[in-house]
Amino acid sequence: MSRKAPPGARGAGASTSNGTTSSAPALPTISTEDMCPVCKTIRYLNKDMEFLINPECYHSMCSNCVNRLFNDGPNQCPYAGCNRTLRRKGFRSAFFGDLAVEREVDIRRRVAAVFNQAEDDFETLRDYNNYLQMVEDLTFDLVSGGEAQRRTAEATLGRWEAEHKAEIERNRKAGREADEQSRRRLAAERDAARQRRVEALQEAEEEKRERVRNREAELDNLALGDAGAGAGGAQRVQLKRRGQAAANRAVEAAVHTAVAAAADVGRLSIRGLKEKKKAPAPEGPYDPFAGLDFVPGRYKLHTGLGHPGIDKYKDDPAHITGGYSFDEYTARAMFEAFAGLGVFIEDEMEAGIGLSAGEVATMSAGIAAVGDRMELD
Amino acid sequence: MAVSPLVAPATSSPFKRQPSAVPSSNGNGTPRLLQNSNNNNSNNNNRPAPNSNNTLPMTLDPIEQLNEDEKRKYVKGKKLGEGTYANVYLGHARHDPSVLVAIKKIKVQQQYQDGMAPDAVRELKYLRELHHPNIISLVSVFSSKDQNLNLVLEYLPLGDLEMLIRDVDRVRYGAGDIKAWMGMLARAVWFCHDNFVLHRDIKPNNLLIAADGEVKLADFGLARAFADPGRRMTANVITRWYRPPELLFGARHYSGAVDVWSVGMVFAELIIRAPFLAGNTEVEQIALICKQIGTPTEDNWPGVTQLREYTVPTDVVAVWGKEAYMGRFGAVGADGVDLLVKTVALDPKKRITAREMLEHRWWRTDPKPTRKEDLPRKSSGGEEKMAADLKRRPGIVEEEARGAKVARKLDFGQSK
Repeated sequence: MSRKAPPGARGAGASTSNGTTSSAPALPTISTEDMCPVCKTIRYLNKDMEFLINPECYHSMCSNCVNRLFNDGPNQCPYAGCNRTLRRKGFRSAFFGDLAVEREVDIRRRVAAVFNQAEDDFETLRDYNNYLQMVEDLTFDLVSGGEAQRRTAEATLGRWEAEHKAEIERNRKAGREADEQSRRRLAAERDAARQRRVEALQEAEEEKRERVRNREAELDNLALGDAGAGAGGAQRVQLKRRGQAAANRAVEAAVHTAVAAAADVGRLSIRGLKEKKKAPAPEGPYDPFAGLDFVPGRYKLHTGLGHPGIDKYKDDPAHITGGYSFDEYTARAMFEAFAGLGVFIEDEMEAGIGLSAGEVATMSAGIAAVGDRMELD
Repeated sequence: MAVSPLVAPATSSPFKRQPSAVPSSNGNGTPRLLQNSNNNNSNNNNRPAPNSNNTLPMTLDPIEQLNEDEKRKYVKGKKLGEGTYANVYLGHARHDPSVLVAIKKIKVQQQYQDGMAPDAVRELKYLRELHHPNIISLVSVFSSKDQNLNLVLEYLPLGDLEMLIRDVDRVRYGAGDIKAWMGMLARAVWFCHDNFVLHRDIKPNNLLIAADGEVKLADFGLARAFADPGRRMTANVITRWYRPPELLFGARHYSGAVDVWSVGMVFAELIIRAPFLAGNTEVEQIALICKQIGTPTEDNWPGVTQLREYTVPTDVVAVWGKEAYMGRFGAVGADGVDLLVKTVALDPKKRITAREMLEHRWWRTDPKPTRKEDLPRKSSGGEEKMAADLKRRPGIVEEEARGAKVARKLDFGQSK
């Protein structure tokens, strides 16, 4: 009955719950024989009149009005008393006839995008329920709370979004993955169903051909004349049995494919089974060095080590300005002095690490040849 | 033992010795690279070419035998790319076709007829020593017919960082991804420096991506060990856009700080998705540095005016503070910008070192670096890109011809 209620009464009802969205007295609804509240054009004059709303204030107007008013950039909402600035880009056609519903759905969508935790993210079911309760309270405040309530809810939403940006992004990704997975599962099921249908069709075809063949054989028998009836009957029984066997086979095959399909699907996810969360890899804090370190074990490196051979360069402006590092040099000198200590080629050869015998041969030849070092630049 | 100096000179010594071995060879001008002419001078001259794969002559000396064995371990597949400097082939191990490798065949170069090209020597020498998850691994080396040197390298199918940076439309990445990539790059550089190797050609082109998303520093064609005091190094290294001011000013004694500057440039490029300082000439590069980072003066870099090629634009720009970077590079957060500013300090002595980079607090702040499996990637074109990167001559900005000329000017002889 309420559907037939006059728009005025409807509007009054809406205004009590939605008075906060704008200072307009009511949120009008779009009905088919409506007229544009802005230019008063009625559908009778313009068959393909389309009503658009802007989620800023949810005031509806026809697309002609939108084009007329907002083509030259942002403009005020033409509704009396509504001082919101609207842009052309924000307009869209409403999905629901009742704009209050449209608005609530929009708000819920927005809240759900931010508060997108799943049950798995909570320690206990109770926590999850509390969380849902909190989200619902917030949504209610946004949808039908007073100005102050709405403002605080908005602030809470914003704060949560800012604080949990990474988490939200992750959950969204996970949500998308889940969607993808269920889509794949559905596709697999559809495929299996199609496969079954095709098989059934083939089976029917086969049976029909069998029947035809059977009939022909019977006719042949009749043409031959003698004692056909009894033999034919026997044959028919046999054929019938064969048909039964075929049917059995078909059933079996169908079950088999269904099982296979189910198994296939099962690998993706089983309906109703709680998706096991992948055990989070025991990821420690990021180690920039990736577990390597070259602290010398046999000596301690001090900065500013000197040597008569290099001291004269320490004051050379060319070395200083170019950024030459004497500590790097001393580190290398120390390293080279100590390198090779504690390395036993025999052991490494036995253990099979390091060099092959051939390489060792090359190496010893090379060591002999180190004298004439060819240095590049 | 990551690096043993015992191994270092030894493994590459057959190559090093080559110039002295040339006069004793058969005199037709083709040097024999991978044979030990010390032991077998006698049968050097009248041996058939040892390159027929199936019927190996019994006269092969042990080194040639070793080379043949090594060569037979790999099957060369289709050519992935061809350049003037090297060809790159896809290959696989003979015993297991699923083990893919990239074979970089370095061509005999006109300028270096009587030996191996220095970049090939450098690449071999340092890749042979450095083994790290973030450094391309050299699987094997052999010489093929015409004495071409073949480097068997790890197969890295996902292209390079440059590809991801440039594809603004299809590749999106965030602060966590940048942090992960930078972490891998900084680790690679730190590993090189802690093993006393300067890479001297760090750029997004040389950061290849493995199948699991790991970034690998490649192309050691310009690498060298830290020099002893008093020994001069060439200033003509590192692709221009990534070259630090001390090299642009012709400093001949420098340190790992040159690589750190390049890392900073890569960092900036990752954030703004375009080369940060892209000068067409060295003069323009200096001008860009002066404009975007600050003019090097005696105040912020004592002694800089005494450098050989010190020339800066007349209007002095004060060194920009951290705040100036926040606008353009703010995507990595205040700590990230702090790290960036420290890597692009003008005075190399004040520049952060690779180790200090890894100790920076940016790595410990949010967002966490993305796991390497989750890093953005491109599925197509990686193979060709890897081939293009590997065949390129070191130290070149690809786009323009002038860069090529500059790099070819590398004067290895003069700097003794």
